[in-house]
Amino acid sequence: MGNGMQAGMAGASDALHAEQGRPGSESFRLPPGFTLRETRADGSQEYFLNMGPQHPSTHGVLKLVVRLDGETVIEVVPHLGFIHRAIEKMGENETFVQYIHLTDRMDYLSSHINNLCVCMAIEKAMGIGVPERGEYIRVMVSELQRIQSHLLWWGAFGMDMGAVSAFLYGFKEREKITALFEELCGARLTMNYFRPGGSNADVPADFLPRIKEVLEDLKFSLDEFEVLLTKNPIIRERTVGVGALSKDRAISYGCSGPVGRASGVDFDVRKHDPYSVYDRFTFDVPLGKNGDCYDRYMVRMQEMRESIRILEQAMAGFPEGQYRSKEKPNYKVPAGSYYANVETARGLYATYMVSDNSFKPYRIKSRSPNLSNLAAIGEMARGGKIADLVAVLSTLDLIIPDIDR
Amino acid sequence: MNKANPGGEPGHHDPAAQYLADLTGGSGMPGGLPAIPGVEGSGGLTNAVDWVVGWARANSLWPLVFGTSCCAIEMMATGASHNDWARFGLEVARASPRQADLIILAGTIVEKMGSRLITLYEQMPGPKYVIAMGACTISGGPFYYDSYSVVKGADRLIPVDVYVPGCPPRPEALLFGVMKLQELIRKGGWRNSLTPRPINHSPIKDEMSETARLWEEKEKAKQEGMKEAQERFKAENPDFKGVVIKRVAAPKFDEVPRVVRSQRGLPAPETFAILAERFPGLMVQGLSEPTPEKLAALGPEYILDVIVGREDYLGLVGFLKSDARLKLDFLIELTAVDWKDRFDVVVHLQSLEKGHKVFLRCALPREEHPEIPSLTGIFSGADWHEREAYDFFGIRFAGHPDLRRLFLDDDFPGHPLRKDFEDPSRIVKRPY
Repeated sequence: MGNGMQAGMAGASDALHAEQGRPGSESFRLPPGFTLRETRADGSQEYFLNMGPQHPSTHGVLKLVVRLDGETVIEVVPHLGFIHRAIEKMGENETFVQYIHLTDRMDYLSSHINNLCVCMAIEKAMGIGVPERGEYIRVMVSELQRIQSHLLWWGAFGMDMGAVSAFLYGFKEREKITALFEELCGARLTMNYFRPGGSNADVPADFLPRIKEVLEDLKFSLDEFEVLLTKNPIIRERTVGVGALSKDRAISYGCSGPVGRASGVDFDVRKHDPYSVYDRFTFDVPLGKNGDCYDRYMVRMQEMRESIRILEQAMAGFPEGQYRSKEKPNYKVPAGSYYANVETARGLYATYMVSDNSFKPYRIKSRSPNLSNLAAIGEMARGGKIADLVAVLSTLDLIIPDIDR
Repeated sequence: MNKANPGGEPGHHDPAAQYLADLTGGSGMPGGLPAIPGVEGSGGLTNAVDWVVGWARANSLWPLVFGTSCCAIEMMATGASHNDWARFGLEVARASPRQADLIILAGTIVEKMGSRLITLYEQMPGPKYVIAMGACTISGGPFYYDSYSVVKGADRLIPVDVYVPGCPPRPEALLFGVMKLQELIRKGGWRNSLTPRPINHSPIKDEMSETARLWEEKEKAKQEGMKEAQERFKAENPDFKGVVIKRVAAPKFDEVPRVVRSQRGLPAPETFAILAERFPGLMVQGLSEPTPEKLAALGPEYILDVIVGREDYLGLVGFLKSDARLKLDFLIELTAVDWKDRFDVVVHLQSLEKGHKVFLRCALPREEHPEIPSLTGIFSGADWHEREAYDFFGIRFAGHPDLRRLFLDDDFPGHPLRKDFEDPSRIVKRPY
């Protein structure tokens, strides 16, 4: 049991409390999680700043305690759990198929892809096949989901950088995709659409022409976005060289998705561990070099174009036939442990489920890409200014309920 | 009507007069609202002032930027270009509660956030309003049963004015909720209290069971009351067979064979051979005496799942990472499983370069705080995974630099993902 542990146990849940005293005084106690302590000879003091859980740029209820020297960030310690909803415990009391709807509420901007992961684990356990059309629906819907997630991120990123109009532009495009989803499954956000063996309904009759329409608009908008933010000198000033994360550190922290790829980690589940029918499509995995905020930004921008490429290929080869395989009367998973992984808009999402040969999982665990990506924030923000921390948070594209589960 | 609008021409549409007419039930006399106590004849004037103040307040609501989960996205969508809540005078979303007078509770409130929510509410200047957006803030929603951390309805913490159901509600629903709130504010006028209503510290309480019981009683009474009518109907229509519901035939699907995709990288038998060479006597989950042949028979989809003892645990993980043939450099996740008689610490590793995965598990005795070496020296990312396992299972990781709970409050009793965890004060059990 380390010192940090004792500090954590002794302190109330709020890290910054009046009785902690000023640095250097007898009563001074570090907030939980801090291990480093410096005393200054020149009388200047470091101080702690509390960001969140109610803060507009933490994108949810994340709390960061920041140790600052003037404006320079020395240490960042995230505090989690402000939206910990016990999803894994609840999963143990629901059937395997019922667990699908809970994954909607983890990373709600990748809900289709999360659903898919659970379905894939069940399919693996029970040997359920998916028809061709079902696979194509899965890929297309997943890619649409990725685009709408990145569009929202783009808008929110613009707003974090002070460009409110970006928010409106991003949502304008995203609304079109949400409308498509609504027609597809009746929900705009919490989809609950995929089932083991396919999906719970076929796509609407005008699905392909409508996607085509959306993509045409989107291609135009993406060019517009490049003019609005990418080439904007203020955005470049605030992102180039800010919050860099090296490749080795990214791998060590388990960073995946655009965050890992911006640091040069060539890992995309769709490409390197393909599921569904991703291996039939040609697409590139955009990589960054420096791992800074600008690279993370660019990787996502390019990813949207790659998703459009995948969608166009999938539309060209969209087969007829049944959209799902024969339903089982129940989903009794044989004893054992099963693992499936997918690439969500934020990285490697995995479902690990343990069954004791019953209708309910004995233990079900979801690997959150955000948790690992956020873990590296201390390294990214160190040495930067407090305003850079906002840029780092924004380009991490965090979904806090996915971290807390 | 003429009191509120003394010079108004009859027939001329006057919104102020219209609102007053609504308030007073169309009587024309604003007698429905009381005058200022102690000020004689204040009724008419105060009602005019009342209307102006209510109108101004209702149309310049400043919402707090408060979103905890999914509903926040729909709240953002409501504010963004397509739905545009600025049409309702709502666009000045504030990040500080001190500048806001409306808090839209977008998303689940959990116990840890509860105290912060109360602080936010208390920091808002009065008059202040609360919209509970979505099922979670109304009743706990999908997280009502079995969850040990979710507050079963935000109104157990702070007073709520308008409830907007949905999971999540559509932007239109939220706008409707806002309009309802505006109606409420207009009706209240300046009489909207500046002192907040009392806050309620009862985050977790089983109200559902009591409600269900009352509902059952009500239903029973209703059935009793309808008995006579039902018997009369039966006597009058002896041929009635009940309503036949026509169902849409469910589509039939054929079985589809599963496409088995082989694991990338080094196959499981070869990986095992490399490991067995270094760690003789290594066991594999589900196989009594593992041999490469037996592993090959498990199919191409199989991911090697080895059982390692506590003494070899750190050495094996280090070997898996450093061996040039294996290069398992990526920690997917670290978690635990409670088997009632033991814990399994489960580690999932992947090689980014080659693509293969190896899972390993290490059994720990079922003690209060079983201990296992920490992997933080090998993978930086193990830090939070281990803190999570400590939080959920109480497993201690020796050598971890900062072993604290990750998600739950420090004073949370017990470790919730243990199978014997029970906390009737927090968990409402599913009745079926």
